[in-house]
Amino acid sequence: MSIVPKETVEVIAQSIGISNFSTDAALALAPDVEYRIREIMQEAIKCMRHSRRTTLTTDDVDEALKLRNVEPVYGFASGGPLRFRRAIGYRDLFYLDDKDVEFKDVIEAPLPRAPLDTSIVCHWLAIEGVQPVIPENAPVQAIAAPSNGTNNEQKDGLPVEIKLPVKHILSRELQLYFDKITELAVSRSDSVLFKQALVSLATDSGLHPLVPYFTYFVADEVSRGLNNYSLLFALMRVVWNLLQNPHIQIEPYLHQLMPSVVTCLVAKRLGNRLADNHWELRDFTAKLVAAICKRYGHVYNTLQTRLTKTLLNALLDPKRALTQHYGAVQGLAALGPNVVRLLLLPNLGPYLSLLEPEMLLEKQKNEVKRHEAWRVYGALLQAAGQCIYDRLKIFPPLSSLPARSVWKTNGIVATLSNKRKTSMDLEEQPPLKKIATDGPVDAVSTSSMPTPMEEDATAATPLDNSDADHPSPSSVQIPPDSGSESRSKRDKGDSQAQKLSAILPQVWKDDLNSGKLLVSLFELFGEGILSFIPAPEMSLFL
Amino acid sequence: MDELQVVEFVATYLKKKGFSEAENALQAEIQRNKSSNNTNPIDILNDPELSKFFRTFSESEDGPARYQDEYSKLRSWTYSSLDLYKHELLHVLYPVFIHCFMDLVAKGHIQEARTFFNNFREDHEMMHLRDLQKLEGVLSPSHLEEMEFAHSLRHSKVNIKICQVLYLFLFTSLHQNTYIVKKSNHCQSFYQYSYELLLQYLHKTQSTKMLGIINERINFQVSPGQPSSISDDAEIVTLIGSNQDAANQINQKEVHWGLLEDSLENRLEKTGLISDSEKAEGENKEAEIDENKKRPVEGGKQGASIKKLKKDKAINATAKTSRLEANTVSTAPRVKPDLALPVMPTEVEQSILEDLRNRVHLSSAALPSVSFYTFINTHNGLNCASISQDGSLVAGGFSDSSLKVWDMAKLGQQAVSSGLQGENDTTPREDIIGPNGRKRSYTLYQGHSGPVYSASFSPLGDFILSSSADTTIRLWSTKLNANLVCYKGHNYPVWDVQFNPQGHYFASSSHDRTARIWSMDRIQPLRIMAGHLSDVDCVRWHINCNYIATGSSDKTVRLWDVSSGECVRIFIGHRSMILSLAMSPDGRYMASGDEDGTIMMWDLASGRCVTPLMGHTSCVWTLAYSCEGSLLASGSADCTVKLWDVTTSTKVLKTEEKSGTNRLRSLKTLPTKSTPVYSLQFSRRNLLFAAGALSKTS
Repeated sequence: MSIVPKETVEVIAQSIGISNFSTDAALALAPDVEYRIREIMQEAIKCMRHSRRTTLTTDDVDEALKLRNVEPVYGFASGGPLRFRRAIGYRDLFYLDDKDVEFKDVIEAPLPRAPLDTSIVCHWLAIEGVQPVIPENAPVQAIAAPSNGTNNEQKDGLPVEIKLPVKHILSRELQLYFDKITELAVSRSDSVLFKQALVSLATDSGLHPLVPYFTYFVADEVSRGLNNYSLLFALMRVVWNLLQNPHIQIEPYLHQLMPSVVTCLVAKRLGNRLADNHWELRDFTAKLVAAICKRYGHVYNTLQTRLTKTLLNALLDPKRALTQHYGAVQGLAALGPNVVRLLLLPNLGPYLSLLEPEMLLEKQKNEVKRHEAWRVYGALLQAAGQCIYDRLKIFPPLSSLPARSVWKTNGIVATLSNKRKTSMDLEEQPPLKKIATDGPVDAVSTSSMPTPMEEDATAATPLDNSDADHPSPSSVQIPPDSGSESRSKRDKGDSQAQKLSAILPQVWKDDLNSGKLLVSLFELFGEGILSFIPAPEMSLFL
Repeated sequence: MDELQVVEFVATYLKKKGFSEAENALQAEIQRNKSSNNTNPIDILNDPELSKFFRTFSESEDGPARYQDEYSKLRSWTYSSLDLYKHELLHVLYPVFIHCFMDLVAKGHIQEARTFFNNFREDHEMMHLRDLQKLEGVLSPSHLEEMEFAHSLRHSKVNIKICQVLYLFLFTSLHQNTYIVKKSNHCQSFYQYSYELLLQYLHKTQSTKMLGIINERINFQVSPGQPSSISDDAEIVTLIGSNQDAANQINQKEVHWGLLEDSLENRLEKTGLISDSEKAEGENKEAEIDENKKRPVEGGKQGASIKKLKKDKAINATAKTSRLEANTVSTAPRVKPDLALPVMPTEVEQSILEDLRNRVHLSSAALPSVSFYTFINTHNGLNCASISQDGSLVAGGFSDSSLKVWDMAKLGQQAVSSGLQGENDTTPREDIIGPNGRKRSYTLYQGHSGPVYSASFSPLGDFILSSSADTTIRLWSTKLNANLVCYKGHNYPVWDVQFNPQGHYFASSSHDRTARIWSMDRIQPLRIMAGHLSDVDCVRWHINCNYIATGSSDKTVRLWDVSSGECVRIFIGHRSMILSLAMSPDGRYMASGDEDGTIMMWDLASGRCVTPLMGHTSCVWTLAYSCEGSLLASGSADCTVKLWDVTTSTKVLKTEEKSGTNRLRSLKTLPTKSTPVYSLQFSRRNLLFAAGALSKTS
């Protein structure tokens, strides 16, 4: 009936030397033991409360015993929980594992380090009711947690006023950091310090609170400082580095950031001096835009469409300055070959017809304008070339296929020859090679008149299609970075371009679209485009 | 059944139970019956139902199983009753429960008592957990006698307010019979009416035990009309030892809660007026004159009339918000101090006035700044923390019997000289958190021989009092860094000590269930306040120094008149031990915080709870009112400082006396970094200081 069994009472009696202890007495004492224990524990809880604690310690029990004028139980420290062990052979008998300690060991043991002395530190828990974000205060997550508490209160039906956080607190350190960075960006963007600052922007983890401020700063400065080339470049680099920072969630601020970035891409004038290499800025910004689209395109699915629309509008508006056109072309090009193919190439013809007069010395007297036109032309060329190169790159896996395995696929390939991405037919290789080797010889005659040849090529392409020739011989490796490679081969390419053009149609026989594309590009750009044909193809033709 | 036998049985039963009146009535009846030869039409004796009912009396007089049986019947009947009545009926259940248990114990049915208790304890755990824990251990009749709580329960009646409809309900369902009804004066009329009902119910169950308990232990206050809502909870919940009527009587006494006549605030008002008039604000002057006219009128009166005036004032005050504070202060009636209070040095007075002038006005829109003093490396030894009025000194009482005092100004200087280049000279105190020097950063006061449970700074910060488990209170001088006096008088650990707002006097509270008033120059207490039924855990002075409030483990707060030593108010409503108290600066209100995290705000004049403040999840260690009384700050073991809007709630109370909706608003919760808040102190300029010990375990 009592939680203290009579056996316990009997054991205690034995331990203090009462041998003839009747069961009745034990039975009578058991409830009283429980009562006393409860009484003492209730006193102990009082002592605990007055020690401003919420966990009961053995000290509290000792205090409670003192209150009752009972000798405290010695030998129990509040260091840790008592470890009871089960007695072997008994299911419900436990004892305290109290190790024997040698005096010698205790005496000889080195003195433990003195515990640190109590001291007081002082901080602001709140300033006019707002908690500053400092290490001494509970972290922000802990602040958010009590909001559940208010919700709970609401369940009670209490009128609880929930205030939305209106103030955003920046710690002093962050404010200083922000001031420093902005100052560097505005005034000393070419210093080494700024480079280090950019590294810090790209890597530091605690900058997230600053993102809205940076966004605003960039937008503000771009709108004011369009004449200041170095500032703009610095700002774009700031954005770029913020984008690189893995600890920052920049998505929510993209809608504020994009206008200023696009401005730097397609603005009419960037910088006010001739020396300002605004082309470089536009190139950089184009890369930046592409990076943003690549990273957040899946989050904001309208991001890329809106961007391309803007750029295309800028490009196709003949009233816009050539610089703007250049920016648009670069922007589109940076978005990838698919964008170029779908949006840029269809408009290429009409646009080039507009651009052509600007480039000619006799039509456009203004040298600056002419230079700009050439720039645009170059950009277009590069974009188209990149695109065509990309098309060609579709095939590299095939090139690495071992020749034998391809041989086996012969029959199938032959039947599917018309389809894109069909395996090339290596049967044709020897003749191709032959053609390739013959190429220069054939091409020599055509050098002077590319256009008619082009027409021939277009005519030839469909016819040759059925042959399912493939341009990439398996024996030749495709260089990973075609741009540089192709450029390095540029001289060669230039010299041989005329000759190549004749063979070109054959190269694209397998792919009607690609072939047509290249042909049309060639039509527009002339031999310039050939520099973008990857080296293997080049070698093929040589 | 033999007629005479039954009559005799009834007569002996009544005699045995001591129902002499009923017995006499029966005897008279029998006499009459004899003379009139059984002409009584309602013949009890011929009624088989009734005789069967009486028979059961004798058969199961002491059957312990009956308690369980009948209680469970009463319980299920209560729970299945209409929602409208259920609430009130549930209040009946708890006293019946504990008395059933105690009856069982008293009769020696220990085993049955334990089973009974365990079966039904869950029903009451939410409301009465502490009491149940106390009672649980009671296992023999001797314990009942020994244990004060049980003893007082058994020797007093519980007051329960119940509406008339329910009263009838309850009793009809319990098969009211004649002698019970006769005992209850309220129901004379009900007697005739219910006889039919009674007979109807008689054949169901015979819950005589329950009936006996209800009759013996519970004092029903039958009120006409519909059952009341939950609002009267407070009075029902607490079963205190003292007579409820006595408590009510005590609460009828007059409390002069007004401020002191010649307080500094008063003077500030006057000086403030001068400065105002310099700005040529004629309107203000008029208002002030108005107030001056009103003041003597108000001084005499108390209570309701003033409330009304205050309400009017409040409406006026909204127009001129800048002078709101002055208004509320001036409307409070003035009282003369009963104690001879010390005279304040003029320079101190000047500095205080300066502080008051520069005080930041706090409201729900303007929250205070909080400077937090964190004790580190306390090794769980910090028992209490105390902050001086201006926040420059912080004292900590430790379980190793020591009292340590930190001078925050010095702490700052050290940091300046050792650490930085001294660029922060303009911001002397809080901004600099520097590493302490090699030397000890505090002053150590040693003298106690037990854990120090409380410390209190004198208003000027030149003395500290500390109370300890060694039953003594010690007075220390912060100037001399030495112990001046050791006050012995308590017989048990002294839980709390507090200086009078004017200094010189102080109050202490102890485990010996008394609170005592002392003066610095006498080693004997001036007054002993006895009356609490358990430890007096905390003590606070009223702002006008004529009263002290004490909070106790008996779950009541009491207000004592210092000059007479009488208890003038009992505040009943808390459900667990009271840990902290605070008095509002206008003297009208008092806040008390308990172990469960509930804070209650009381109106001293009426003795009623203005509103409970729910929000903390653990012990409320400390409470503090802002200097103009518009905010209440509370610090708790759940590692938060909460700020409560006090003005809105009191206004709601004044304008529309709605119950339930007028809870105080929690304005802000400031979580600390795993640091329970031990102490809070508003400076005179309304900067809030808080202190606590960093506990790494949480």
